Amino acid sequence: MQAMVDASDGDLARAVAARGPGLAEAAEAELYRRFAPRVRLYGLRHLRDEDDARDLVQQVMLLAIEKLRGGAIRDADQIASFVLGVSRTMAKDWKRREWRREKLRDAFLPASLVTAPARDASLDIDHLETCLARLADRERMVLLLTFYAEKTGSDVGKELRLTEGNVRVIRHRAIDRLRTCMTSREGGE
Amino acid sequence: MLPCQAPVPDATLLDYWAGDLLDGDEMNRVEEHLFACGDCSARLDQMAALGAGLATLVRQGRMSGFVSRAILNRLQRDGVRVRMFWLAPGETVPCAVFPGDDVIVTALRADFSGVETVTLSVTGPDDSPFGRYDDVPVSGARGEVLWATPAALVQQLPSMRLELTLTSTGAAPTELGRYVLDHAASPPPG
Repeated sequence: MQAMVDASDGDLARAVAARGPGLAEAAEAELYRRFAPRVRLYGLRHLRDEDDARDLVQQVMLLAIEKLRGGAIRDADQIASFVLGVSRTMAKDWKRREWRREKLRDAFLPASLVTAPARDASLDIDHLETCLARLADRERMVLLLTFYAEKTGSDVGKELRLTEGNVRVIRHRAIDRLRTCMTSREGGE
Repeated sequence: MLPCQAPVPDATLLDYWAGDLLDGDEMNRVEEHLFACGDCSARLDQMAALGAGLATLVRQGRMSGFVSRAILNRLQRDGVRVRMFWLAPGETVPCAVFPGDDVIVTALRADFSGVETVTLSVTGPDDSPFGRYDDVPVSGARGEVLWATPAALVQQLPSMRLELTLTSTGAAPTELGRYVLDHAASPPPG
């Protein structure tokens, strides 16, 4: 199993394609372990929804493994590009469908009924609250506008009367301070 | 797996996440790298998790401090129950928390022409200091200061008058307005 962990992405893809007894299954599991979080992140970035991102992972990884098994991916070393390409195509289709769904939803249901609760099981949310309170007001506002209101740097700048460059600097500094606070003992005291 | 040979800087990862990489080629390069590199994608994942945590806190009404109109709009879209009190300079406004409120927002109006940041001083009965907030950004095109407090926190306050003073920040601070919140305590539960 350690050999799988140390193997390159290309080696894993070749092992899946070769369908060697015992090996292919372990290689598939390792490929999934590596790429599923990356596809999820891509999904979150482009679809902005945890459930949609998880569904995207299932669909992309299923297709990628199927293509590998069927020998449809010629250059195994390009497996990362292949998975990215599939993610892009599927996310684009997803957005198109979601746009149609949203139009229908807005017409019939209030937003409070359809907002999915957020899930951050691995994060110490109480500690995060403490760390957030320790940021300067401007830093906190920039982070909330970025991560909650989902505004670009340019939009945040307009909202807070700052240049886009300034927003990026504040955002970077703020997330850094938050991360440091979250990983330090002092942050929770 | 090989360690990352050319890590993407945190600032670039944040730009990517926030939709600030306007150059399509750069965006493609970052995405190609993220799909091939476990280290960088894990770093972005960590930042994204912090961002998702912030959003969770806000949706739960667990945030104190200043917000902008865009945040307020998003709160209302998410079904967070926001009670607002609007105050113009010199005004006294009665305020209270009602069952079901999640967040209380005090919206302070003033002439913010040429003002980028302000100081908000809050005093309680007998001029006792209640809070002071420096370098608060003025938000929006017309200018406003929106002060958000969890309803659960305000609910614990006794009846009292709070005097709020807004002063511009800078070399020559100017008073922009004084406001009074006449807070009525919530009746005990049951």
